[in-house]
Amino acid sequence: MYILSPLNILALVCIGIGLFFMVVGAVGLIRLPDFYTRAHASGKCDTLGEGMMLIGFILYEGMTLISVKLLLLAIFIFISSPTAVHALVNVAHSRGVTPWKKGDERQ
Amino acid sequence: MKHRFINNTLQSRRDDSCGGFEISSENRRSSPGKLIATFTILMIFWYILSGYFDLFHIGAGIICCGIVTLISGDLILRSDRSLIQSGRIFIRFILFLPQLMVEILIANLDVAYRVLHPKMPIDPEILTIDTGFSGDVPRTAFANAMTLTPGTITVDVRRGTFTVHALVRESAEEDLLRKRSIQKRLADIFGEGP
Repeated sequence: MYILSPLNILALVCIGIGLFFMVVGAVGLIRLPDFYTRAHASGKCDTLGEGMMLIGFILYEGMTLISVKLLLLAIFIFISSPTAVHALVNVAHSRGVTPWKKGDERQ
Repeated sequence: MKHRFINNTLQSRRDDSCGGFEISSENRRSSPGKLIATFTILMIFWYILSGYFDLFHIGAGIICCGIVTLISGDLILRSDRSLIQSGRIFIRFILFLPQLMVEILIANLDVAYRVLHPKMPIDPEILTIDTGFSGDVPRTAFANAMTLTPGTITVDVRRGTFTVHALVRESAEEDLLRKRSIQKRLADIFGEGP
């Protein structure tokens, strides 16, 4: 019988957590009422989801050059993803997209 | 008319962004130590990405990194700070990362709870936060940290003033206007007032 090593189980847990947050991001994109709140869901949850999945891949891969590259990928995602969300939201704000307030109709 | 509006916003953006990053033409030349440090960083990056250690790849790496260092040597390490200062800021920032990771995880669990809750208990609001950050890097770090942590997204940055969209008004006001924990940590790291 095939038995998973503790490190592989940890990697699977990390990938699972990452997948959960990616799904939450997608659900939030559908459920939340307007552009800004949707940016919350996609921005935050996707960043953490991708980061956790990459950490899972690193644990699965072990100490190789590929895991160093994956680590760099995670670092760059953590820098660029919030910046991209900020750019989108900034344009929406300067173009006058009105934010949804509690009690309003869905847009 | 629309065109002029775009031009005006671009212009004002440019005026704002000059605030923290002034490099006059005299001290644009970096010191040799800084050029060597930049070259070393680029070379390490080259090795990680290429993965080959034969003569051809090392030679190509030295040529490429040398050209990049000569053209943009003052982009990674700023010329108005000493090498030791930059290194100290970098290490303090690395030590700050674990705390930031925990806070990102908590913020994400909060968003997940609010998204998956049947009634969606959200109360969005746009807030303004005044800070004393004057450099580009502290401002960027604060804006990115704010987008990732306490249920807020940075909408706009004008000098030290951040416009923020909060998913839940009360908790964001509590974190950013009263406790100000991220501001204080970043002020410690970069040596600029919160």
